[in-house]
Amino acid sequence: MQRITAAKRALAAQAHRTFSQSAASLREPELPKMPAFDYTPPPYSGPPAAEILAKRKEFLSPSLFHFYKKPINIVDGKKQYLFDEEGRRYLDAFGGIATVCCGHCHPDVVSAVVKQMNRIQHSTVLYLNHAIADFAEALASKMPGDLKVVFFTNSGTEANELALMMARLYTGCQDIISIRNGYHGNAAGTMGATAQSIWKFNVVQSGVHHTLNPDPYRGVFGSDGEKYAKDVQDLINFGTSGHVAGFISEAIQGVGGIIELAPGYLPAAYSTIKKAGGLCIADEVQSGFARTGSFWGFESHGVVPDIVTMAKGIGNGIPLGAVVTTPEIAEVLTRRSYFNTFGGNPVCTAAGLAVLNVIEKEKLQENAHVVGSYLKERLLSLKDKYELVGDVRGRGLMLGLELVTDRKLKTPAKTEIVHVMEQMKDMGVLVGKGGYYGNVFRITPPLCFTKEDADFLVDAMGYTLSKM
Amino acid sequence: MAFWGRILKRALQPARPSSDAAALCSSYSTNAPPQLPRFDHLPKPYKGPSADAVLEKRKKFLGPSLFYFYEKPLNIVEGKMQYLFDESGRRYLDAFAGIVTVSCGHCHPEVLDAIIEQSKLLQHATTIYLHHAIGDFAEALTSKLPGDLKVVYFVNSGSEANELATLMARMYTGNLEMISLRNAYHGGSSGTIGLTALNTWKYSIPQGEIHHVMNPDPYRGPFGSDAKAYARDVQDHIDFGTSGKVAGFIAETIQGVGGAVELAPGYLKLVYDIVRKAGGVCIADEVQTGFGRTGGHYWGFETQGVIPDIVTMAKGIGNGLPLGAVVTTPEIASVMAQKIQFNTYGGNPVCSAGGHAVLRVIDKEKRQAHCADIGSHLISRLKELQQKYDIIGDVRGRGLMLGVELVTDRKEKTPAKAETLHLFEKLKE
Repeated sequence: MQRITAAKRALAAQAHRTFSQSAASLREPELPKMPAFDYTPPPYSGPPAAEILAKRKEFLSPSLFHFYKKPINIVDGKKQYLFDEEGRRYLDAFGGIATVCCGHCHPDVVSAVVKQMNRIQHSTVLYLNHAIADFAEALASKMPGDLKVVFFTNSGTEANELALMMARLYTGCQDIISIRNGYHGNAAGTMGATAQSIWKFNVVQSGVHHTLNPDPYRGVFGSDGEKYAKDVQDLINFGTSGHVAGFISEAIQGVGGIIELAPGYLPAAYSTIKKAGGLCIADEVQSGFARTGSFWGFESHGVVPDIVTMAKGIGNGIPLGAVVTTPEIAEVLTRRSYFNTFGGNPVCTAAGLAVLNVIEKEKLQENAHVVGSYLKERLLSLKDKYELVGDVRGRGLMLGLELVTDRKLKTPAKTEIVHVMEQMKDMGVLVGKGGYYGNVFRITPPLCFTKEDADFLVDAMGYTLSKM
Repeated sequence: MAFWGRILKRALQPARPSSDAAALCSSYSTNAPPQLPRFDHLPKPYKGPSADAVLEKRKKFLGPSLFYFYEKPLNIVEGKMQYLFDESGRRYLDAFAGIVTVSCGHCHPEVLDAIIEQSKLLQHATTIYLHHAIGDFAEALTSKLPGDLKVVYFVNSGSEANELATLMARMYTGNLEMISLRNAYHGGSSGTIGLTALNTWKYSIPQGEIHHVMNPDPYRGPFGSDAKAYARDVQDHIDFGTSGKVAGFIAETIQGVGGAVELAPGYLKLVYDIVRKAGGVCIADEVQTGFGRTGGHYWGFETQGVIPDIVTMAKGIGNGLPLGAVVTTPEIASVMAQKIQFNTYGGNPVCSAGGHAVLRVIDKEKRQAHCADIGSHLISRLKELQQKYDIIGDVRGRGLMLGVELVTDRKEKTPAKAETLHLFEKLKE
């Protein structure tokens, strides 16, 4: 990928402004148009949004939240588009939270699922079935080093729970180190590893330590990865017996606002952890399956973890998670019995295999890289234009755009972002929101996202920003 | 020792049948062996990898801890209602249902239909957008529950459900201590491993504030069916092992993994009272007993005449779909609402549509009554066997959740481990 340096970019932007400013001042920004798409959803005859909202309030958890003042009733999905109850089309730039990687209702995936469902949905691993074995083999083939033993679960939380337990059993140590602002799940162990107060209930967290976040934008050491990694050593030296069970991190923090770990951080942290006898766990729940332009997020940091966890994109939305590790580490589970009733069922594993095939066949990894880079460049041009855009970051189709009311102080623009999000939705673009302060746009679309989609997204955002 | 539990330790034990087990098998072989009931369905021809090839791959890519049934494990490639088919098209009566999971029947047409139709429209978008399936399913589910149990949280498994229930108990009460029964199974994640009380399933990890009380096991428990005596142990634990205040108590009404052990009658009523007085909430783990399986009632806890504060469910809820749920009262839910509680896949349109179809099938096809009917017939036939063969120590359970315990000595109740394995293999053949 060609990197246009900041200087070159500034020059280009300046040139653009010089030439187009006069023209622009004469021209009202045009309302951006959604790219064409040849699909009409079947007519919807179910309950309307208001009725659904009422039922949710009555029968579902009160902590269930939704986006938008007027939440959308999403009834149909096709590739990178979603449709509401009136058949109105939206560009899905959030992907059901970085989950739908092949595209909504991708025909190959749906066909694999339906075919398997018609044969057998569930019997458990107590009996044999080829689907689980074939998928495990295919998944292992995507892994470097000795990572070739797969455990299937039903979610990212379950995968991380299992990974943490394996690390503790393998090393005989209790302490786990995770990164502040990370998100790893919401069960007992994973809620401890998750490091944002928003997502943490007042539970007992024994054995977990949260290290400095190597955040290039807000972090105290800027982009100096190695400086942040020293905090890991500090925690080990002063907060543990000197030996730890392991370290868990995302390659790019998803829930935390698309924060790329500062360059050089992971190799340094991994080295420190290994010296303390610990295992390195890569949480690839959001960054995995080609989303970042590499197949796995950790690859771009030049490390090989001991355990990799995954979910979300693995099944294009089907409830599935997995843990991949080495035969040596996998052996710890033979000390007792670990069993997951639904995990590895034929339908979900058939879907998983179909997803891997689609990613390869449709060159989605390359697309994520090419379209993602293009999108990032265009978003950076928004940053040049609008003071409100504090930072643009990420890789491939896992991008973030942080809004601030003051570029120096980096004051989170919490109300502004809600406004922009609403406006964009009205224009037909659905994005996600995240970050500790809730001021970061999370752009994690299905990997079949096109350049035209990218243009539409940026134009819609630009249009909204221009009116503010 | 119960049928289920011992299968896991089978790997190194050769089968050495006692005379009784052999007699049991041979008495049928002198007459013609029993025939499978007729069934009008031909499985599709199977062209995939053979059992050996699959086993090879499993050993290589799925780790040494993945176990399986039978010396020669079965390659199950298709299912229809209560039957399974192997690679050669041979039909088997599925009396285990993928571990009490397939409630309506394998590939039940109505459930399949609902799932397939929804899969074509939308698999996943999350609850940050609206979709009717989740609300409709929640409404239908709560209509099956008594009292004030009307707020649903959807998750993806029984473990996740029990994790959430434990969190709720602790947040709501402000207390830490949880109480569960010895011989119980509640999950395989870090919190639920603590609640689980069978060493086979417990890894050596910190369990947090958990107390495992005496199991009110009518067959093996020291107090027989005396619920009061067992309940006293709960009070004891609270009085001497905690601050006097607890977060909650969790139990299955019929222990599944533990061997279809029914809690001594009247036990839950007494314990619920004790726990509530100590400030705790009562959690009913209906992962195996729910959805009409016990016949007389829709939910296992109803057989003990109690109303829990939180109910967890999975397995049968989706006929095999990865789906779980926690249902609780608005009061408890409101405490949880102080923070975000989110599950990415939980309540997705496909699983919700599937779950809703399951509820409809159970009602329409009167499955609960059917469980009662067939269950009582089955249990009486099993009891006949018990009359005939000394090796059958106990027959227990309700509806279609039954257990048969084999012992080599009825007085000592010595577990007939080898015999069980032998019988298990023969039954499959």
